[in-house]
Amino acid sequence: MVVGVGGAPVGAEQQARAGAAGPSRREVARGLVASAAAVALAPLVAASRPVPPADGLVGNSFDEVYRGRRIQGALVSAEGAVAARRDWRITVDGRPLHLMRRADGGWLSMADHYTSYRTPLEATRAAVDQIGPGQRLRDLAPGPVGGVQGVPGAQGVPGVQGGHMHMGGRHGVRA
Amino acid sequence: MAYVRKDVSTLTRTERRRFVNALLELKRRGEYDEFVRMHIDFYTSDGEDGLRTAHMAPSFLPWHRRFLLELERALRRVDSSVTVPYWDWTRDRTTTSVPWTRDLLGGNGRRSDRQVTTGPFAYSAGHWTIREGVTNGKFLTRDLGRAAAPIHLPTRSELQGALDDPVYDAWPWDSTVRKGFRNKLEGWGSGTGSASWRNHNRVHRWVGGAMLGGASVNDPVFWLHHAFVDLVWYRWQRAHRTHRYLPAQPPGASDHQHGRVVARHEKLPPWEETPDQLEDVSHIYRYA
Repeated sequence: MVVGVGGAPVGAEQQARAGAAGPSRREVARGLVASAAAVALAPLVAASRPVPPADGLVGNSFDEVYRGRRIQGALVSAEGAVAARRDWRITVDGRPLHLMRRADGGWLSMADHYTSYRTPLEATRAAVDQIGPGQRLRDLAPGPVGGVQGVPGAQGVPGVQGGHMHMGGRHGVRA
Repeated sequence: MAYVRKDVSTLTRTERRRFVNALLELKRRGEYDEFVRMHIDFYTSDGEDGLRTAHMAPSFLPWHRRFLLELERALRRVDSSVTVPYWDWTRDRTTTSVPWTRDLLGGNGRRSDRQVTTGPFAYSAGHWTIREGVTNGKFLTRDLGRAAAPIHLPTRSELQGALDDPVYDAWPWDSTVRKGFRNKLEGWGSGTGSASWRNHNRVHRWVGGAMLGGASVNDPVFWLHHAFVDLVWYRWQRAHRTHRYLPAQPPGASDHQHGRVVARHEKLPPWEETPDQLEDVSHIYRYA
């Protein structure tokens, strides 16, 4: 089982529509970081077979080299959750790529944010198209936990009418 | 006294220099990267749960209006003469017209790695290191017009198609709605490929590089683009005077958009203002 920050199972977010608290996208993204570390620690395993999806579904993963970059993705879902939500864990050369879903069923990535694609694989390939030669992804998952992560000048700047502008982690705030 | 935002093509040499220098000063102080990060943090997609404020939502327009005001306030603390100019991409449509000049934003990225090598925001100029980027690349990137598969900027008639819709927005208030000014301007079409990127979204793709990703604010053209989008909203308001921001009331508890969009009189995070309060900002600035 993939566990997000705070111990909530990744993939339970869909339940939040019914009013229950689920992990934020940020927490899901933290799971992605953990998965990237796991990939880095077990390259031989990863090379020999794709990471199986947690719910055992066959065919819901990919592992290929696209334009010289290793792209891997696996559908994961939370064990035991009723009508569990599924998320994809994606890496490009072992670095996590954050995907978001669109209401029409499409997918967007951090590297290509103003277009959506039909499948996670298409979105991942499109992201690779945007990564320049010799570069690698940074973990830019939205919403840093605990405020500012290495952001220069974070002390006392842009100020929103007396408040600090940096409002990281406001995802999931309800009106 | 309201200040004036100008068409970038009309700025004098001095106005260009002062605008650029104020941006570079915010970058030097570290303030600019706060704006980059904030835009990343507030991008919630509509296939996810949670409140959407900045994109795929009715508050796309007031959120970015408020975001621009925040940047403009920061710029004016550096130089009180500066305002954010707008880029009318229905008029200035080539890769060498304004704002892609050496005295403004610099030109296209080079073919090999899309690195911007001219103007004040070129990495080699020493003032614009990318710190909050999608990749570990330290330099600003652009791919104007998308060299590998060229596309054109939205045309005047494509923009007019959005302006002609008298209804601000419609249920389900997201990227799938076909009706309403807001999504026609934001530009989420259906299907895949070139025809699915309209107006605002299409401009992000036309500029390419940093502007296409979650860290699009790294390219200062972000502000010129969104100032024009903001002007288009103002024009829509003048063309449809009896129409206002929608939804007027929050979606009910049984609506799956409940708690996911900001209604007219609700506060628009992270700010204290409501869309209602942001509809008329004529006491702060006007467009020339």
